[in-house]
Amino acid sequence: MTDPVRPMLDDSTLVRIRGLTTVLNGKTIFDALDLDIPRGKITAIMGPSGTGKTTLLKHITGQMRADAGEILVNGENVAGMSREQLYKMREGIGYLFQNSALLTDFSVFENVAFPLRQHTQLPEVLIRNLVLLKLQAVGLRGAAGLMPNELSGGMARRVALARAIVFDPMLIIYDEPFVGLDPVALNQVLKLIRTLNQTLGITSVLVAHELDAVKQVADHVFLIANGKVVAQGDPKTIAGDGSPWTRQFFGGEADGPVPFQYPAGDLAQALGFTGAAK
Amino acid sequence: MNVRAPHGNNVVIQSLTQIGNCGLFLLTLLAAIPRSFRYVRETIRQLWFVGAMSLTIIMVCGLFVGMVLMLQLYHVLSIFGGTSASGMVVALSVYRELGPVVTALLFAGRAGTSITAEIGLMRATDQIDAMEMMAVDPIAYVATPRFLAGLIAMPLLCCVFCAMAVFGGHLVGVTWLGIDNGTFWSNMTAEVDVHTDIVNGVLFKSLAFGAVVSLIAVFQGFTTPPTSEGVAYATTRTVVASSIAILALDFVLTAFLM
Repeated sequence: MTDPVRPMLDDSTLVRIRGLTTVLNGKTIFDALDLDIPRGKITAIMGPSGTGKTTLLKHITGQMRADAGEILVNGENVAGMSREQLYKMREGIGYLFQNSALLTDFSVFENVAFPLRQHTQLPEVLIRNLVLLKLQAVGLRGAAGLMPNELSGGMARRVALARAIVFDPMLIIYDEPFVGLDPVALNQVLKLIRTLNQTLGITSVLVAHELDAVKQVADHVFLIANGKVVAQGDPKTIAGDGSPWTRQFFGGEADGPVPFQYPAGDLAQALGFTGAAK
Repeated sequence: MNVRAPHGNNVVIQSLTQIGNCGLFLLTLLAAIPRSFRYVRETIRQLWFVGAMSLTIIMVCGLFVGMVLMLQLYHVLSIFGGTSASGMVVALSVYRELGPVVTALLFAGRAGTSITAEIGLMRATDQIDAMEMMAVDPIAYVATPRFLAGLIAMPLLCCVFCAMAVFGGHLVGVTWLGIDNGTFWSNMTAEVDVHTDIVNGVLFKSLAFGAVVSLIAVFQGFTTPPTSEGVAYATTRTVVASSIAILALDFVLTAFLM
């Protein structure tokens, strides 16, 4: 059962967004968007390309300021945070970038150790043990000595995941984690997301387009379009919601609420036929 | 780093906007210096990349600049029977102008472009954003160490350049053209003033050029559009802007220091 408008109002909410409004280059990305991300669950954010899913993640992490609205992460308003407060908050957030964003000068081991070295004074032995444990968790302990350019896309993403969880964050954000993965790597990443959520109790937010993968892993789905949440609910039933948005997005229809044609003037006029017809 | 995008197609406005943004970026850099002290190892690593790795080109170019300068001067001064002064003229030319300027131009081509390209690619591959997300300040960790490394490396490289140029002048003048060794050195030591020529010429100018080239290189890297074309343009802009800035600043500094 889906509810297109009413957000979940739950005490166990980790991220609460109210009235989020963002205008970029004159285009309204979010129009008073309300959204709640429950603690300890895997929440998927879906929507057509260009609807601002990654922008939403940037708002949550404070990388981008909104024009209006409130974003509470663990009860703290992100918009009012100073740089130091933002950095403090980010220490509790793991972020998996679409292209992994591994530091190319560093080995796999050093990439995972990087946040530990920057924010702790742990002895080298402890850093080594922690890094190897995290790499073991993603199945890449044997790749600790490799450089990022020696990894496949799936391996790089798993290394980035190990780096993202090295501080055992309260929230982990996956930006399109399934893009470009072969079925084996896809299943590995799916398994990891689910395992991390269950074993560490991490709240997970993932932006994805792959409904089959989302169905396997997510507890809740938000469908964003036109700057608002147009549908939300269980990933297994949201596709049958029946609204034009879900029908087009999950049915893969070329035209619908999201038009096939980018807004343009009259075709005949553009081709110069208007004058000839007269 | 938020910078204002230049509006319109007016080249003058775009250039002024860039200069303004660069000035704001400098303030950000300077403010981040205290925070970057914890990344001393990164600064030393950058010092190795921009300083030590530039030594070969600086030494070779310094040698040839000194050699060609001596050759030219010898032929001109021989007309007036003043070849004994050629060593001194080589030294003064190198210390006051050629050393700092040519070192800075070479540094912009060798190290400036690599700084811009590296930071630009880090932006294009989300490495800068990843640092932000790992609560690591990219200005303090990436920009400031490179800026400081350039600032420290440039005077040292300039000294090496000048030494090699004098050596090149000696090689051609004394070994090849037969100028007396004693005359070569005594004229030089008599006329070269430590404060005017070495401190103001070599050290002060190269420090200023080091700051300008490093600032432009880091700024271009941080503000480049995160695309392959953007990185290509940014590296080109680093060389062009640095070269103009070096020569313009050289004129201003010379006018004030003379």
